[in-house]
Amino acid sequence: MKKKIFILLLLILMVSGCGKKKEELVLVTEAGFAPYEYYENGEIVGVDIDICKRIAKELGMELKIKDVAFDSIINEVKTKKSDIGAAGISHTDERAREVDFTNNYMESKQVLVVKKDSYLKSPSMLSDEKIAVQLGTVADTYLTEKVPTVKIVREKKFLAAIQDLIDDKVSGVVMDEVPAKELITSDMVILEEPLVIDYYGMVVRKGNKKLLSIANKVIDEMKENGSIDEALLEHMGVKENVSKKNSLIDKFYYSVIYDGRYKYIIEGIINTIIIAIGAVILGVLFGGIASIIRNINGNTGKLKILNLLAKWYVTVIRGTPVILQLMIIYYVIFKSAQVNIVLVGILSFGINSGAYVAEIIRAGIQSVDKGQIEAGYALGLPYRYVMSKIVIPEALKNILPALGNEFITLVKETSVGAYIGIIELTKASDIIASRTYDYFFPLILVALIYLLITLVLTKVFNTMEERLNHARD
Amino acid sequence: MLEIKNLKKNFSDKKVLKGISLKVEKGEIIGIIGPSGCGKSTFLRCINLLEKPTSGHIIFEGDDLIDNDNLEVIRRKIGMVFQQFNLFENMTVLDNIILAPVLLKVMTKEEATVEAKRLLKEIDLLDKASFYPNELSGGQKQRVAIIRTLIMKPEIILFDEPTSALDPEMIGEVTQLMRKIANDGMTMLIVSHEMNFIKNFCNRVIFMAEGVIHADGSSSDIFDNPKDEHLINFLSKIKNV
Ligand SMILES: Nc1ncnc2c1ncn2[C@@H]1O[C@H](COP(=O)(O)OP(=O)(O)O)[C@@H](O)[C@H]1O
Ligand SMILES: [Mg+2]
Repeated sequence: MKKKIFILLLLILMVSGCGKKKEELVLVTEAGFAPYEYYENGEIVGVDIDICKRIAKELGMELKIKDVAFDSIINEVKTKKSDIGAAGISHTDERAREVDFTNNYMESKQVLVVKKDSYLKSPSMLSDEKIAVQLGTVADTYLTEKVPTVKIVREKKFLAAIQDLIDDKVSGVVMDEVPAKELITSDMVILEEPLVIDYYGMVVRKGNKKLLSIANKVIDEMKENGSIDEALLEHMGVKENVSKKNSLIDKFYYSVIYDGRYKYIIEGIINTIIIAIGAVILGVLFGGIASIIRNINGNTGKLKILNLLAKWYVTVIRGTPVILQLMIIYYVIFKSAQVNIVLVGILSFGINSGAYVAEIIRAGIQSVDKGQIEAGYALGLPYRYVMSKIVIPEALKNILPALGNEFITLVKETSVGAYIGIIELTKASDIIASRTYDYFFPLILVALIYLLITLVLTKVFNTMEERLNHARD
Repeated sequence: MLEIKNLKKNFSDKKVLKGISLKVEKGEIIGIIGPSGCGKSTFLRCINLLEKPTSGHIIFEGDDLIDNDNLEVIRRKIGMVFQQFNLFENMTVLDNIILAPVLLKVMTKEEATVEAKRLLKEIDLLDKASFYPNELSGGQKQRVAIIRTLIMKPEIILFDEPTSALDPEMIGEVTQLMRKIANDGMTMLIVSHEMNFIKNFCNRVIFMAEGVIHADGSSSDIFDNPKDEHLINFLSKIKNV
């Protein structure tokens, strides 16, 4: 039974993955890095995108863009989920071991950003300062290896790194010069002397010679005729200076209305709810099956192997973080398969939730008064009736409220779905923040939406519970 | 009708029943007395296999119940009444009573409902048919529990301290019902601490101590003319209370 459902699910995932057309070039990026890649008008645009569009054109293909976490990009390319990665990726030996780099298309200076009144006047003055960087970027590796005395604060976003500087949590930020110019506020400066100069290239899967040579050809041409510099100019200065418009109404306008940004929030809400609902259904299914197996085994001694599997399932899932399960399912189990990420999200969170649901059911069953069960057996009722007529109806009274909690937990947990590129609520706030350069408003807004969703759900579950109790009186 | 042969029961290392043999004839009303923890409940629970005996045989109307594939069918013929009533809390009084006969297809739902209502009427609880157990008094609950067993038309009923959880003023209504059932010819095994009730009601009394039967005789043998040292000791303690 469990196997069949699994296979069915796999098939659905596979089939939905087959939607990839032959003539698509899949670009993977992290679109929070203006001017190279960023959201505008609901679309991802930027210098890297312009170059890749040319590459796709050269190949006679259509460009499809995926937005994932920066540290997932190499994996995406390696596992054939994407063809080319471009996200201002610095050419390093370490990365070159995993994927092939195109020719460099951009020279990148890693610079130090400080407050205007800072005593730090040169990168050489960094000794035991606290410095913020974006996790996994060249700045991160450079500081880690070359200036080990520095205390590095690794943020997932440049924006968060700059926010650290605004809040004086760090004394400087090391990052790429171009986005730095976009990001700094009026009381910050970029120190002229670069820490290190490195070169951006795009990445393709090792051995993908055809794509590599076409990409190189396009890049060389565009460098030659100045169109990369043009693109850079075109995409710079797109920053909206929200900080100057400080009223709440302005913030709301720029976070929600302007440029159709509410669309991200709506998409986020829809995905969050779809994943949570799908996952709780799968969770109840998996958890139900696991607890049925465990219960039958506990009462009759049958199903030894299935019982062992069910036990391990619960132990392993509860013993590991959901984010790792999600990444393992997406990058290891569905390696080299084109799958719909929302379905992967539903499957991953469903598998995760199933383990907790199994425990919820087990606790619910255990809470049923032994005396009633014995009375059932004493009347000559077989195990299946004792379970279905006595134990389960009684257990449901404890299980249903706990399932409600599990659903509410799931709604919030879906936020890690952004790791594999799902635009859920938290990711929506990230996208908006990466355009407005104002973290505060979108975060509060999204927090309020989560709160609203959970309040509504709590109310719904409470009403259901009351109904259930009324039905008995 | 029921024969228990050398019944032993251990809970892990602990020997609770150390070889009990007993023959029960149809229509006998047998009281089982003995100090707390001597294994009376365990003994009753072994008879319908709520506890699995460690060794021995339980022969009911010719069938050995140990490793019997038909256990569930035989259990219908062995009723049980518990100290804590054990009514199904999520069902009405009526549903409690008709659940087993309907599920086990002993009766149709209509037949079972008619029969249940007839039985409820006899004990003056017909007006409580659609109540839930938590809306009944202890005495009412226990009487419903007895009827729930009775509707299966058992050959024998095991009572494990049927009145111990009741307030004193409710004991009478339960014992009265038991008397009525006894008059109809039911075979009964009754564990109880109500010595007066056992003495007057049972035609045979068994005294258990430390997992064995120490005395077995008529009511007057046990209460008026005790011979076993443990029994004399036990009875004197009770009188002192
Ligand atoms: N499920 C069990 N597990 C372990 N020990 C038990 C269990 N049930 C009963 N016992 C033990 O067996 C002994 C007899 O219990 P019981 O039959 O309930 O005595 P009685 O009904 O005569 O008071 C007691 O010492 C009790 O602790
Ligand atoms: Mg007892």
